[in-house]
Amino acid sequence: MPDATFTEPTTIGAPSGETVCRVVDVRKRFGAQEILRGVSLEVKAGEVLCVLGPSGSGKTTMLRCINHLEKIDSGQIWVDGGLVGYREHRDRLYELHEREVARRRANIGMVFQRFNLFAHMTVLENITMAPVLVRRQKRSLAAERARQLLERVGLGDKVDAYPSQLSGGQQQRVAIARALAMEPKLLLFDEPTSALDPELVSGVLDVMKELAADGYTMIVVTHEIGFAREAADRIILMDQGVVVESGPPAQIIDNPREQRTKSFLSKVL
Amino acid sequence: MVSNRELTDLQPEPTGTRAADIRAVPVRHPGRWLGAAAVAVLMAQLVHTLLTNHRFEWGVVGQYFTTKSVLVGLLHTVELTVLAMAIGISLGVILAIMRLSQNRVLSMTSWAYIWFFRGTPLLVQLIFWYNLSALFPRLSVGVPFGPEFISGSANAFITTYVAGILGLGLNEGAYMAEIVRAGILSVDEGQVEAAYSLGLKRVQVLWRIVLPQAMKVVIPPTGNQTIGMLKSSSLVSVISVPELLFTVQIIYARTYQTIPLLIVASLWYLAVTTVLTIGQYYVERHFAKGASRQLPPSPLRKLGNDLKAIYDARRYVH
Repeated sequence: MPDATFTEPTTIGAPSGETVCRVVDVRKRFGAQEILRGVSLEVKAGEVLCVLGPSGSGKTTMLRCINHLEKIDSGQIWVDGGLVGYREHRDRLYELHEREVARRRANIGMVFQRFNLFAHMTVLENITMAPVLVRRQKRSLAAERARQLLERVGLGDKVDAYPSQLSGGQQQRVAIARALAMEPKLLLFDEPTSALDPELVSGVLDVMKELAADGYTMIVVTHEIGFAREAADRIILMDQGVVVESGPPAQIIDNPREQRTKSFLSKVL
Repeated sequence: MVSNRELTDLQPEPTGTRAADIRAVPVRHPGRWLGAAAVAVLMAQLVHTLLTNHRFEWGVVGQYFTTKSVLVGLLHTVELTVLAMAIGISLGVILAIMRLSQNRVLSMTSWAYIWFFRGTPLLVQLIFWYNLSALFPRLSVGVPFGPEFISGSANAFITTYVAGILGLGLNEGAYMAEIVRAGILSVDEGQVEAAYSLGLKRVQVLWRIVLPQAMKVVIPPTGNQTIGMLKSSSLVSVISVPELLFTVQIIYARTYQTIPLLIVASLWYLAVTTVLTIGQYYVERHFAKGASRQLPPSPLRKLGNDLKAIYDARRYVH
């Protein structure tokens, strides 16, 4: 994709006003250490939110909480109109049955730092497994769709390869295709390029920019300031378990108000 | 300081053609040769005694090797091994999953089972099962502490054969549980998280993602256990199950040809072990899918490579 199409990302897939994900005053501790200390944020449909911040600031934990891979200690997380992990009934919270948790997770795609492709399955099996098992799609239909998705991420010729035969960048693009196959309402990216060799990063970022332009709702934890500037509708900066600053890329990157944002950017830019 | 001119002198002259392969006389290893010679002498002695000591009675070995009763005994041995391993593996998977459960009752029960069955001798367990009717003269199926649906004499249920299979299988379950648990723990956490994030349920994650990948770690020790089971199955001869060892014991009790009949049994054990070893190799290959970029060469291919290496080495020396 030529970069020119992305010069004004906010005009493509502009927020429609419908909230897909809302995080309200979320706290999470591991043992004695409080990783999230009251995080709130909101992502509207079609919006791309980039999360920046130093390591240990709670970015990844926040992402994992949205997918209920971690349980939160207090606060609320809403995805697609439903409370994550719980059901509210007459002012009481009930833990959701794992069947229900799984059903909701199916609508949230997640791309991991370490790809986590299923090592014993081919690329095609990696992508078709969940649509067939969870969405009850016909195998042939799922396979056809998987081929289209692979074509889209530029790996149409790797259908029958095993993950170990692919480079890191290729694996990550397969992982993105695997997430897309479930037609998620929200895509979570957990430092998707941090484990890649430098020359492989751009291939993955290009695919993500394309998704952003196509109107996918995305939360991207990243250290790629260039990507955030180009693809994000909004950027938040997290530090020590709280959101320090939030705003459009131009404001956060070029005119940060908070001292902590300034000092973080001075280290990474 | 080394001047530039001297440096260039040190560079090899470009010859235009590819440099010749190195031809050097290999290092000699007199110690190894002495050791090999000593071993060769011992081996020769062994072969000599095998051939010339008439007390081996090779004729008797040949005579009984394929008699019907020995073959029936062999069949029972294989049957015992297969059934006991089937029980052992199924039980092992269940116990491993229980052991890793967050429910303390389940994990502690599994722990206690493994503790008990690994902690008492197999031979004792076998004799115990054989004598179960002394403890529970009647066995029944029904509601716990409630009405019974089927009941009968324990001796009718627990024949010697059933006692043998139960004893071997239940004991094996304890060992397999630890093997399967190690396999499950070897699977990367990220694989499980990725599966959950796609909306899979716990059971699906276990069957589709964790267990298939655990197989790579589980199979080699399981092959080991199966070969061990083949031989442990001879222990059930003490409770008169007519397997291979018991069969040859019956024969030599009558004919007093103890040594040749034990050789008959040993040769059959070796034969089945060989078949199992080959089988294990191919199962391992099957589950190596995706684990490495290339499948390892097959044994024939490896032999070919070795012969080629020896041939090449000889060519160098001459």
